Amino acid sequence: MSRDRKIMTEDALHAYVDGVLDDYDRAAVEEHLVNNPADAETVASWSRQNEVLRSLYGHVADAPAPAHLDVYRIADNRNVLSGNWRRMAAAGILLFALGAAGGWFGHNLAGSTQLATMPLVNEAVAAHNLYTREVIHPVEVKADQRDHLAAWLSKRLDRPLDIPDLRALGFDLVGGRLLPAGGRPAAQFMYEDKTGRRVTLYIVPTQKGAESSFRYATFDGLESFFWRDETISCALVGSLPREELREIATRAYKELG
Amino acid sequence: MSQFLDEIETCVPALRRYARGLTHDADIADDLVQDCLERAIRKSGLWRPSGPLKAWLFRILLNIYRNDLRRRRRTPDPLPFDMLPSEPQGLAAQPGRLALAETARAMQTLPSEQREALLLVVIEGLSYADAASVLGIPVGTLMSRLGRARATLRQLTETGAPRLRTVK
Repeated sequence: MSRDRKIMTEDALHAYVDGVLDDYDRAAVEEHLVNNPADAETVASWSRQNEVLRSLYGHVADAPAPAHLDVYRIADNRNVLSGNWRRMAAAGILLFALGAAGGWFGHNLAGSTQLATMPLVNEAVAAHNLYTREVIHPVEVKADQRDHLAAWLSKRLDRPLDIPDLRALGFDLVGGRLLPAGGRPAAQFMYEDKTGRRVTLYIVPTQKGAESSFRYATFDGLESFFWRDETISCALVGSLPREELREIATRAYKELG
Repeated sequence: MSQFLDEIETCVPALRRYARGLTHDADIADDLVQDCLERAIRKSGLWRPSGPLKAWLFRILLNIYRNDLRRRRRTPDPLPFDMLPSEPQGLAAQPGRLALAETARAMQTLPSEQREALLLVVIEGLSYADAASVLGIPVGTLMSRLGRARATLRQLTETGAPRLRTVK
């Protein structure tokens, strides 16, 4: 910009109002404004606007942020889901061995854990039985709307859910549905392999708490792995060999979230 | 990782302020910020500090906001009067409550792309180059959006309404 120029560009006026000019250019604009009352009025108006806008929105940044915007808390939730799965899988193998020896091996565990997880397995098995037999409408939202399904159920369960991709293990997503679980929403994802075997992944939201290792149950002729993450409890149900189901459960655990 | 989280944390107040300006709704704004933070932390493994972190976060927030907007196909609700900041006390130089409400209404009539640009420059204090980069547009386009936004706000707040600012 030059002091010689008679006509000031509008960009220069914006830059003046936004305070981004150096001393030399600022002086040039001020000199221009003295002789151009219309531009001076524009600049005054824009300056008032800036002031009003700052009064309008500036205070938001001064207010303390609510707990759900705590960056460390958000990161913690993710680490539980994605970072520690190896340790979890190792624990799963150990407990699987116990389970193989003990049938409904929850009997071998401390009572409180068993009582807390029994309804989960019951509900998961009931939902599995009800919907895997369904031929025409096994799911509410089909796999071709995978993104919508994930967004919808994440919203309803109030937790970020990434639908596990189990294709490497031979299981394609059929779809999913929302279910009632004792007054709360629950999510069910259904998968199917080439031979028509179906497994379901049942997820209920839980209060923030300690994660658990993989546990195994045989129930009503069905095999089930269940576990608890920081904010969700999950049960994988299917009529599959235990070792195969464990592999799927490990994969699902790793990919959820 | 923890240093990275600290850096993100220092940007949260600005993200909340920008989201509020975009949506004019405290709850929707904070939902937007939460989605933004979750996405940022999820993607942090891929991020290389090639540009300022704050600009990257603004870009993520804007992407989520625009997707939401497309999905809902609606403009922000009017800013409720009781959500305006309380009236400045005794300082005649500060804008009054009426001017705030008037400008808040005018802001909602702006096309989203103009509001996005104006807020980045005026409220977030980004340079023109940084604001243009966040919005993914050339600086010239940014300046023209800024110009149109300012012209519309001026028109809506200064004509047809009593010019209270001239009253002594």
